Amino acid sequence: MTEPAIRISEISKVFPTPFRRRRIVALQHLDLEIAPGEIYGLLGPNGSGKSTTLKIILGLIQPTRGNVHVFGRDNSTVAVRRDIGFLPENAYFHKFLTGTETLRFHARLSGLESRESKSRIAELLETVGLTRAADARLGTYSKGMLQRIGLAQALIHRPKILVLDEPTAAVDPAGSRDIQNLIASLKKTGTTILLSSHLLTQVQEVCDRVGILHRGKLIREGRLEDLLAIENQTEFIVENATPEFLDQLERQIASVNGRMVLRRKPQTSLEQLFLKVTETPDE
Amino acid sequence: MKLLLALIVILAGFVPAKLKMESACQQSQPAALSLDLREKIGQSAFVAVLGGFGSVIADLLFIDAYSAWERTDWTQLLLRLRQATELQPRSILFWEMAGWHMAWNAGTAALEDESKSPATRRRLQSEYLKLGEDFLVRGVAHNPEKPQLYEALARLYRDKFHDHARAAENFEKASHLPGHASYDERFSAYELSYCEGREREAYDRLRALYQRGQKERLPRLINQLRAMEERLNLPANKRIP
Amino acid sequence: MSSSLSRIGAIARTTFIELARLRVFYVLVLFALVLIISSSFIARISFQQELQVTRDIALGAINFFLSMLAIVATAQLLPRDLEDRVVYSVLAKPVRRFEYMMGKFFGVLGLLIISLVAMSILCLAVIHLREGSAVRETMQQMTQSPPEEQERALTALHQAGVNQDLVFALALTLTKAAILASATLCISSFATSNIFTISAMAMVYLVGHLEAVARDYWLHQHAAGWGIRAFLAIVVLFFPDLQAFNLSDQIIAGGSLSALALTKLLGLGAVYIVGYLVIGIAIFGQREL
Repeated sequence: MTEPAIRISEISKVFPTPFRRRRIVALQHLDLEIAPGEIYGLLGPNGSGKSTTLKIILGLIQPTRGNVHVFGRDNSTVAVRRDIGFLPENAYFHKFLTGTETLRFHARLSGLESRESKSRIAELLETVGLTRAADARLGTYSKGMLQRIGLAQALIHRPKILVLDEPTAAVDPAGSRDIQNLIASLKKTGTTILLSSHLLTQVQEVCDRVGILHRGKLIREGRLEDLLAIENQTEFIVENATPEFLDQLERQIASVNGRMVLRRKPQTSLEQLFLKVTETPDE
Repeated sequence: MKLLLALIVILAGFVPAKLKMESACQQSQPAALSLDLREKIGQSAFVAVLGGFGSVIADLLFIDAYSAWERTDWTQLLLRLRQATELQPRSILFWEMAGWHMAWNAGTAALEDESKSPATRRRLQSEYLKLGEDFLVRGVAHNPEKPQLYEALARLYRDKFHDHARAAENFEKASHLPGHASYDERFSAYELSYCEGREREAYDRLRALYQRGQKERLPRLINQLRAMEERLNLPANKRIP
Repeated sequence: MSSSLSRIGAIARTTFIELARLRVFYVLVLFALVLIISSSFIARISFQQELQVTRDIALGAINFFLSMLAIVATAQLLPRDLEDRVVYSVLAKPVRRFEYMMGKFFGVLGLLIISLVAMSILCLAVIHLREGSAVRETMQQMTQSPPEEQERALTALHQAGVNQDLVFALALTLTKAAILASATLCISSFATSNIFTISAMAMVYLVGHLEAVARDYWLHQHAAGWGIRAFLAIVVLFFPDLQAFNLSDQIIAGGSLSALALTKLLGLGAVYIVGYLVIGIAIFGQREL
């Protein structure tokens, strides 16, 4: 069996609150394994411990108990972070730098040679669709553009693992669609992706596997289709069927002790509608 | 816990190094150790409040003192000079000017103030002389390595107090310091020659200067030397040609 | 090793750009104004005095502005990075926390050096011009005086003008600002707001100027009660002696500073800077982000 990309074993995190007796328990006995090449969605309401988990993986905070291994190595060594790219939640980055400067800065932090970084920066700006905004300061970027530049900085050193904290929160549907498409294309390159979100439809569209965190505990985990499947129901969508045929079908179902739960016209989602009517070439 | 241990280790290294370097630096600074602690704290507190601007404020106060002098507002002048020297005790100029303003300008003005009785005028003048002396003495305490303030003090004793012994003493002190005026030694010897009972000492000094060659043989030196030879009744063969 | 330096360099450069683009250089305009306004109302005193006053004001202003710049610019670095979450994207890269802190410090240092150079050029130019005219006028007035007195007047003028001591004073001003920057970084490593950092640094600034007096009293007087002694001990053990670096006070009067004394003071500065940085790094290294 191959080494998991990320293995979290028995992690607990307790935040002491200064001057008070009360302590905040952010995570309790969390176990998690993410296979290489997998897209894993960490779900949960605000304050459920998603960001804490991600920060522990990155070594930004220390767990009270337990440990984290990245490709078999303990995550406290700096070298581990060569394999990880991170997009923080709601990041603004350096507002005073331009897109290119931001990427160059992160390239140098990742130890890229300047010649290599130049072509890499151009390539990534192209990928995230910011070539035209490359020389504008980040202070003038929209939320969606910030997330895209954030994604580009996380990818600058070709990490094997990408960690995204709420990548589509506060981004408009078109922007979030772009980000979802980017995630999907990254999956093809074999990048392992761990993302946290509270926007469930988006998770549903891109993730292979999800875990649901609630009050610091992982209460449900598994493959998306397994989790969502309702075992005793079946759904079919039929085109060009006459009402008579459908009535006949309904009677047949009743005759074999089945129950028709819902009959309706399938609806496009509001998001799909929005994307369709606002679709204009962006850049 | 780990942090606490780390901090203890760091401080165990930092604090001794800090104290050692601080004391090394203190030794190399020309510290005015003769000052009493209260004066020192007063000064430092001032400086601390003003940060780097202490000397600037001192300059402004000194400029204000100058205009007080132009208005002949002696009380204001004294106040400003005190503040300026307090804030910037290492400025020779301030002490020198303060001594001069008090002893010469304010002192003379008091003496010539016709609205007061002659006795009052003399008393006021002597008070201003004392103030001038006080400035210069304190200036010397702050800057013991500066010849200018000894020279100023010597001039004050010579011209205003007619105290030749102390004038001689201060000219002599100045003459030992780097950057002193070339006349310090001569002046010290001249002043000494006016002191009763110290004729021999004065003569020896004058003679030593004379022996140094043409450069020191100024008319006054020769006159003074001749007068000493007379007073000491030296035989002709011991006298200068 | 070299990649570590390159990371520190990248952070320092970005920090410098950040501060430069925040237009903290406006302080320099203020400095120029102080210099120009002040030199207009000191025209009436003697030449030596005029020169000395110009020099005092210039050095005092440089000292003050550079210290303020060091505190204010450094105090906002960490809070701003935390607020904009820059610290997460940076530390998620293979960057050690000490590299991050060193980068911040060197970025501020770069800003301080550039500001000092700019202010110094302005100040030296003004002093040099005034010195030139003062020498000319003095010579005109003293044509009748004996050469010895002319000599003395000129020496006094040169002491008040541009010379080695002035350069020493500027070097020490930079050292003092660097100490303040490292202390600010140390405090902001555990502070939760920059208001706290700035207030704490205002106290360090004031108490630091009194540290020498406290040290003298703590080392040589034993009469005080334990409360006072404990207070003095805290001051002496942790606060920097900032007054030692205010050489403008000593140099202004023409009291020159030996190269040895300068070296010692730079050594003292290095002890403070390294000490505060190491403490700051240790605290920041354990901080939960």
